[in-house]
Amino acid sequence: MRAATLALLAFAAVVLDAALAPHIEIAGARPDFLVIVIVYASLLMGARAATIAGFSAGLIAGAEIPEYLGLNALALSATAYATSKLWSRLVRTNALVQCLVLFAASLTHDVIYYLVYYRNHLDMFGRFIARFGFLGGLYTAAFGALIFWLARVRGWRSITDGAHR
Amino acid sequence: MLAQVIRLLRENPELSTLILCALSSVVLLTLPQAAKDGISGVLSGAALSPLKRLAMTIEELAHVRNDNADLMRLATDLAAERSVLVEYREENRRLKELLSFLVGFPEEERLSMLPARVIGMPGSRVIERIEIDRGITDHVEPGMAVVVPQGLVGKVVRVFPRRSLVEPLSSASSAVSVVTERGRVRGIVRPRYVGAAELASWNLEYVPSSSDVVEGDLVVTSGLGGMYPAGITVGTVGSVADGPLTMRVTLRLAVEPSTVEQVFVVLGSRPARQQGVAAPAAPARTEAAGAAGGND
Repeated sequence: MRAATLALLAFAAVVLDAALAPHIEIAGARPDFLVIVIVYASLLMGARAATIAGFSAGLIAGAEIPEYLGLNALALSATAYATSKLWSRLVRTNALVQCLVLFAASLTHDVIYYLVYYRNHLDMFGRFIARFGFLGGLYTAAFGALIFWLARVRGWRSITDGAHR
Repeated sequence: MLAQVIRLLRENPELSTLILCALSSVVLLTLPQAAKDGISGVLSGAALSPLKRLAMTIEELAHVRNDNADLMRLATDLAAERSVLVEYREENRRLKELLSFLVGFPEEERLSMLPARVIGMPGSRVIERIEIDRGITDHVEPGMAVVVPQGLVGKVVRVFPRRSLVEPLSSASSAVSVVTERGRVRGIVRPRYVGAAELASWNLEYVPSSSDVVEGDLVVTSGLGGMYPAGITVGTVGSVADGPLTMRVTLRLAVEPSTVEQVFVVLGSRPARQQGVAAPAAPARTEAAGAAGGND
């Protein structure tokens, strides 16, 4: 059941990232649905499940660029682990906290990914993060607010209560 | 040292999972490019491509609704445009017919005709009058013949400044002096009504017994009486039955009054062709009818 849920989450993340994200781009920034899914996976299912989900989704999504195969998997699994560790130190029932975690997770993923990607051009890495990283993080965090509001309306207590385990 | 690491990993499964994932990622990253291409190909083919296809399908489905709405709008616009064009085409056809009718006569026989548009058809079951958009200001006068390329429609009976009323042949009081084009046999065409207003047939009356009339003969105006110009088609002979004094001849009219939209008012007249015209069966009646009822 847990594995099926994980597979479904990874699947949903890749589909949303491929199908929806390009159409809701604002000023070149897109919401990172892979990050959103692993953040909520870490909130609801714990670090181990989130790390595996991040690795799987990252591996599939990163297969588009063979030169960097495994990079997205590394960035997402590390982000998932870091996020789950972060959750344990926060008040998870607060919408703003959830948004901030999403922002931090998005930024962490981008930093890991693009640090390796631009390892020989660190000036470009800085410009990229300044130009797209923060904006993408804010956009991703906005979805956190939307999800929290939806969870409250629909009565998804596991999200609004920050329940895990 | 190694034992300590193994114990640490055993005690902390979350960390060990991360390390396993990170190591796997690093291994993948450091693989030769050919191996990376192979793995990417497998992953793309097995997972990413179907997902992308699914995503594209979802995207296309999202567009289908908009495309459908656009196409519906376009279809509605085109249908409306088509209706207008069909109307124009029909009007063009009618006008061409009228024009060819107008210039089709030889110079010496050409009538002076005024084109007019039908603007109304007062009447109930039978069309008693046809209203046209020409009147006194266009020099239209009572008694003038009204025709279409297919034949005679009727005659003007009332004139107003900018419109006129035409009595069609189907009017109960209508009577027209005619002649068959082949046998030159004269007669009077009248509608025969049964009941209140049931048009039963068109009769060619006062045709002497054993006259040269056969089914299908073209019947035209004779020009006698001066009301209708000679030679305008009225119809064709439908059936013929010989009698002791006169023949019983029915007629198929060339023009159905209810279908006309554009007509010509005959301003000038063409003289009756006397040569070869058979003696009228009831000239006195014809003249009397013309004098009393204004009919030909």
